[in-house]
Amino acid sequence: MPNDYLLSLPILAAAGWSVLLIILEAMLSRAALTRVFAMLGFALVGGLSVIGFPLQGLAFSEMLRIGGFQHFANIIFCLSGLLVVALSEKYLDDENVHYGEYYIVAFISVVGMMLLAAAANMAILFIGLEMMSIALYVLAGLMRRDVRSNEAAMKYFLLGAFASGLLLYGISLIYGATGELALHKIAIAIQTGSASMLFWIGFGLLITGFLFKISAVPFHQWTPDVYDGSPTPAAAFMSTGAKAAAFSALIVVVTNFSTLLQNSPTWSLVISSIALATMVVGNIAALAQENLKRMLAYSSVAHAGYMLVGIAAATPDGYSGIMFYTLVYTLMNIGAFGVVALLESKENLLLASDYAGLFKHRPMLAGAMAVFMLSLAGVPPLGGFIGKYKVFAAAVDAKLTWLALAGVLASAVSAYYYLRVVYFMFMRDPVGEAISAPATSSLAFALIAVAVVLLGVFPTEILRITDAALKFAQLPTQTGF
Amino acid sequence: MIESYLPIFAQIVVAIVLGVLLSTLGVLIGPKRKTAQKLTTYESGIEPVGAAKERVSVKYYLVAMLFIVFDIEVVFMYPWAVSFREYGIAGLLSMVTFALLLLAGYFYIIKKGALEWD
Amino acid sequence: MESSVLSLVIFLPFLLSFPLFSFNRAQHGTARWYALLSSLLVFAGALYLALQFNPSSGFQFEHTALQNWLGDSMDVKYSVALDGTSMLLFAFAAFMFPVVVLGSWERVTTNAREYYFFLLMLETCILGIFSAVDLFLYYMFWEAMLIPMYFLIGVWGGNGRGDAATKFFIYMLTASLVMLIGILSLGYISREMGGTFTTDYHKLLQLELPLSVQNILFWLFGLSFFVKAPLFPLHTWAADVYSESPTGAVLTGVLLKMATYALIRFNVMLFPTASANFAPLVCTLAVVAIIYGALVAMSQPNAKRLLAFSSVSHLGFIVLGIFSFTQEALQGAMILMVNSGLTTGLLLMLVGWLEERRGDVRLSEFGGLKKNMPMFSAAFLIATFASIGLPGLSGFIGEFLTLSGAFKSTTLQTGLYAMLAALGVILSAAYMLPMVQKIFTGELTSERNAALSDLTPREILVAALLVAMIIWIGVAPNSFLKLSETSSQAVIEFVTQKSASQALAK
Repeated sequence: MPNDYLLSLPILAAAGWSVLLIILEAMLSRAALTRVFAMLGFALVGGLSVIGFPLQGLAFSEMLRIGGFQHFANIIFCLSGLLVVALSEKYLDDENVHYGEYYIVAFISVVGMMLLAAAANMAILFIGLEMMSIALYVLAGLMRRDVRSNEAAMKYFLLGAFASGLLLYGISLIYGATGELALHKIAIAIQTGSASMLFWIGFGLLITGFLFKISAVPFHQWTPDVYDGSPTPAAAFMSTGAKAAAFSALIVVVTNFSTLLQNSPTWSLVISSIALATMVVGNIAALAQENLKRMLAYSSVAHAGYMLVGIAAATPDGYSGIMFYTLVYTLMNIGAFGVVALLESKENLLLASDYAGLFKHRPMLAGAMAVFMLSLAGVPPLGGFIGKYKVFAAAVDAKLTWLALAGVLASAVSAYYYLRVVYFMFMRDPVGEAISAPATSSLAFALIAVAVVLLGVFPTEILRITDAALKFAQLPTQTGF
Repeated sequence: MIESYLPIFAQIVVAIVLGVLLSTLGVLIGPKRKTAQKLTTYESGIEPVGAAKERVSVKYYLVAMLFIVFDIEVVFMYPWAVSFREYGIAGLLSMVTFALLLLAGYFYIIKKGALEWD
Repeated sequence: MESSVLSLVIFLPFLLSFPLFSFNRAQHGTARWYALLSSLLVFAGALYLALQFNPSSGFQFEHTALQNWLGDSMDVKYSVALDGTSMLLFAFAAFMFPVVVLGSWERVTTNAREYYFFLLMLETCILGIFSAVDLFLYYMFWEAMLIPMYFLIGVWGGNGRGDAATKFFIYMLTASLVMLIGILSLGYISREMGGTFTTDYHKLLQLELPLSVQNILFWLFGLSFFVKAPLFPLHTWAADVYSESPTGAVLTGVLLKMATYALIRFNVMLFPTASANFAPLVCTLAVVAIIYGALVAMSQPNAKRLLAFSSVSHLGFIVLGIFSFTQEALQGAMILMVNSGLTTGLLLMLVGWLEERRGDVRLSEFGGLKKNMPMFSAAFLIATFASIGLPGLSGFIGEFLTLSGAFKSTTLQTGLYAMLAALGVILSAAYMLPMVQKIFTGELTSERNAALSDLTPREILVAALLVAMIIWIGVAPNSFLKLSETSSQAVIEFVTQKSASQALAK
């Protein structure tokens, strides 16, 4: 059926493009060229997703589920990939690891993310997850002469493999309980029969696997070490694209079982507690960090907590809030990591105090960083605020006011450590010589910052899209297509 | 539910009993003549000399990994070959795509010099 | 096009702030002239609105846009309008900004572009706060205001500026985030009571909220306003921020009024029964703030900190005026809001100029300044008298109306609050006059003090503007009171009627 190919065109194009990149790299071995083509590829795939946005349905023997939700997620992945690739070159050059393979592996990882978000069958879900993760392990260990990078890759690999194992075991138990691998068929099987203990154990393991990937407490311990040791752009990629992918899959899974989960007080309690713990632990731990990469790592744990509030609310508004959140988070977090990467690579500046007086030398860069920090703290009128507003609103709607209250208090705590960076940049005098950075990159960051502001002031259209996209995420449990 | 696993349990039990029984019998009733040759680690194999943690050239790993990739390819080809007629032209196209993908990887490997021994 | 005039005035400062970056970074002269002209233009706009304003009718200049701002499931939109309560403060805020620009004329020489950029951005936020009639929009402005404030205090403030800025930010953010939960709850409650999720002020006014809900929401909203006001015991940030702010301390004078304004606009109007019920408690806190602020002010060795605590004391009067629920007291509170902005603003600015010249604001360092700084002394003295509440100056009218209104209040039932608060008036003389005495009278003991120069023509102009306003309000308060008269009346009637009907329903 050609319809299958048309539906999954973005994924097929991405997969094809990654092969093209491999051949290109093999023939010419020029990293700069591969980089340009990788960026072109991200733009192309993202563009295909934009064009194909209204298309929806199941493809390839009900293995893939394509709809607005998947297209929106694809756009986020491509955006994340595009920005990371765009901001990587200088860092990799400075670290002497500028290989074309870096871009290829990042691209393949995005293909994995797209499969993960589009999975209608747990086999595809697992393949997508592994494709994404294995590529990320490679990226983490890219600086192979650096002990910390090796440590990061090893830790990430071992814990990631462990998480994948749990997830796979969960899938097998669910298969054992229902005899199905396709998500919507499992949902039917549970509705007609009832959810057995075996199913619940499997489901718990499946969710645990996801919680590992999004670094929710208590499965977050790998995050700071891995982000710290990895090349900074790769850490930016893990914290945005990979997290968005894991959340997309999580949303697909929980919306599939929504009737089951809505009637389960235990589920709501468990997810709320995890969200609460993630927000609290992430923020408190981030307070104590001097190293900016570790601070951003814990902050990414905290943000996973805010997004989980949307999952706990279990309403379409909550999920649509998460989608918006991942979009904003991708922009602002890559921005923040990008600034860190830019300054780190030249002078090895990693502490907040190293940024003292940045405003004097590079006002535009400092201004952009301030926007990212304030947006991460969730101050209106920046994009980060709207994301938080949506998920907390969903929580209040779902009678989880206590969770929303805890969330806003946690984000008030977070303001302290984000502001510390701003404080050093603007309110301290520079020490030592001027921090140098190319002017073009300042401009790039300024553009990202403008996007973050615009998302905060005019979120309406994006929110309409996420609201509409979410309707496609929930497939009819009967065979509708 | 549990009953359906009964044959597996039975087999496990049989395997354990048989294994333990045979080795015990061997120890008990077998003749014991110790010679220097017989007590070496690999009776007819390589002389075990030097430390066990020896550095092996990374090229061995590379070759081993590449072997696995193509090994898997062949594994996939068997079931396809068996039901070649049922899959028809679509199956052929799928398999060609699969082979081409691997070929691209192979091309990359050669170009990057992974198979050059020196 | 008439309808979007208000929006234009609100966003004018923000729009006008961008050309600042085209100026030469080193030259602060152009930037400040540009900022002055911009803020004057905005003031002209506000004045135009005030003249067009019809005091006898309700909300005017309504302008809505961005329907379903946050998606179709929520009735959230951009919506601004002015009524009597906000018109006065709106115009006053617009008046203060040119004054602030002139006040920091010489002080800000480094990064002047950015300074004026943040100042104009702040003006947009403040004007927005006074005119928003959608709770979400209001929240956006309320929080967005923190960003320019943070940078103004932190970059151009005194020695402890960084910490003061962070403290200010965290205090405000925490309190406002709690209010956000309040807004969300209110929105969903309105949906439950038949309708959609809405943050539209007019629609929320129609709700008949059960008392138990009102009680909770009252504090979720109130916390934010009480922190910003600041009401005892939530005032601990104020002294640091006052003493570290750049001459923009004047701003603080405007900023704090946003909190008391919001108390009237949201707490009192949306939760009338709870407000009436909690009035004795809030008024007790207000009276404590009046007396505590005055007592602490007395023992301050530093002029800026003294003024900070005097401001805590003044805010107590305003809160008392609001929660007495008589029209007289409410009108008094309105005038007091303007008055405290004017007098404390002028005093802080004068102290700031002194600090620029002398590098110190400890009272013990000064003495006999009246000899070589006559203009400065005169301005300071007038502001002090206005602050104490001398008849003929602005402070008297406000305090008189507030106290007499509070005395007659049926909600409070006892005149005790008013009597205790009156004690604060006496105490204010007891801390303000010694300060004047220490700084201005006696002999010029120190050579450094003798070398201080009097006000420059620019400074005289600024001080004269504020003094003129102080006298104008003191002599002809009606030209200001009439703006807010009808809406004060309406507020009181609304609250009395709502709380009476709810009492009946029980």
